[in-house]
Amino acid sequence: MSRIRVHYQEELTRLEEQALGGFDLVLESLDRTIQAVESQDVELAHLVIDADDQLDGRYLEVHQGLITLLATQSPVATDLRLIAALLHVIKNVERMGDQCVNVAKLIPLVGHEPPADPRLVELIVRMGRQVGAQVSQARRAFSERNLGLAEDLVRQDDTVDDLNRECFKLALEIGDEIERREWAMTMMLAARALERAGDNTVDIGEQVAFIVTGLFREFEDASHPEWSREPPE
Amino acid sequence: MEDGGGRGLAQRIEVAEPGADVSWTGEKVFELRDVGVTYSGTQAVKGVSADFFSKEITALIGPSGCGKSTLLRCLNRMNDLIPGAEVEGELRYHGEDLYGPKVDPVQVRKLIGMVFQKPNPFPKSIFDNVAFGPRVLGLDNVEDRVRTALEGAALWGEVSRRLDDNAYGMSGGQQQRLCIARALAVNPDVILMDEPCSALDPISTGKIEDLMLDLKEDYSIVIVTHNMQQAARVSDRTAFLIVELDADEENRWGRMVEYDVTEKIFTNPSDQRTEDYVTGKVG
Repeated sequence: MSRIRVHYQEELTRLEEQALGGFDLVLESLDRTIQAVESQDVELAHLVIDADDQLDGRYLEVHQGLITLLATQSPVATDLRLIAALLHVIKNVERMGDQCVNVAKLIPLVGHEPPADPRLVELIVRMGRQVGAQVSQARRAFSERNLGLAEDLVRQDDTVDDLNRECFKLALEIGDEIERREWAMTMMLAARALERAGDNTVDIGEQVAFIVTGLFREFEDASHPEWSREPPE
Repeated sequence: MEDGGGRGLAQRIEVAEPGADVSWTGEKVFELRDVGVTYSGTQAVKGVSADFFSKEITALIGPSGCGKSTLLRCLNRMNDLIPGAEVEGELRYHGEDLYGPKVDPVQVRKLIGMVFQKPNPFPKSIFDNVAFGPRVLGLDNVEDRVRTALEGAALWGEVSRRLDDNAYGMSGGQQQRLCIARALAVNPDVILMDEPCSALDPISTGKIEDLMLDLKEDYSIVIVTHNMQQAARVSDRTAFLIVELDADEENRWGRMVEYDVTEKIFTNPSDQRTEDYVTGKVG
């Protein structure tokens, strides 16, 4: 038997590579975002906002390419699962870029004054780095179709959720002064955006599991925490 | 109150594997156990075991030479007409041995009709084509049977005013539906279809596919098709056959490698060979 439908396979591979390239763009954007938070760098924050157009363009390009393959090639089996998963993944990638923009937009709001509580900034930077590690892991899990790495993202994301809770506690203790409270509220919005980006990596892990096993299941369920990790009997 | 994150839907949605809810214990039309076919001693199909179910469409797919048409012809003893053809193994039709000594092949072909790749109407009027079977079998109410069969084949509206016209004047798609009507006119139980749409345009193909879905309310259908999307669109279960070679690659025969609910075959097949074939990676 000979290999056939070479052009179709090449196009599918190209679209997957484009989507994986989207992870790299997110990592770049996240890195700049963390730096901008750490050093209250408004210019760098603007750079993050401007660069998001590239990620949006990547989303549109991959999405259109996948729709064309669905319309013209009648993909089935693993190819179909890969395309269905890529449609989710590229959306998650685009959303992670948006969360970086959400954080970047907050930086001019907190201004050039020294942070009211440096510990809160430090926590947010740690969250950002942890999310970055998860984006890298999600990328590797996807490209290697590695179920173990994909499932491990839930455990990794617990760290982000814990840091988010710590941020919340610190924000509560910020005191009564209105300007300090405003600063703390703004920083909580940044923490929330990063926490959502962490969730996006878990969603990508679920899509990896779908490609590998053919079954979709949520790794974690907020409304039924007792079901997390292990499905009910 | 900030909850520190967490994701999820309002409730856990359990999704079963595609086809996991489909029964394998329903009424069986055909039970094949280690069925093989040889032509003058040369093996054409080997070791096929599967159950085909009542009021379902079962599709046989696979590359050229995999024996899917040969296997289809076993189901109404059409292979009896080919000199040197022999069927091995056990083939039961509603629990009875289809190749038993008391079985009349003519009666078998009345109950198990066949529609071929190329429409093959007789050079007669539309009416006479459909009436042929009932007349040969001496059935009564021929006119009613012709009308019912043409209605069943979704053709009555198009031909009711020109039943005396020669069937050769019909379009290819109409001729194929006429052949289906001819099969229906003798009240069959099963309709076998061997590439019924390969000579038809997409519109006629769509009509035949719609018709098949209507017909499975009353009949069991087994279809051989090269068009995998057709199998995906119409069939309930799909069997995938391959060409197998012996060690020195001199002899080749067809073998069934996977048989499952169609949705499973086309979303998550179990066998890598099925995966490679349906995704078009090998041919």
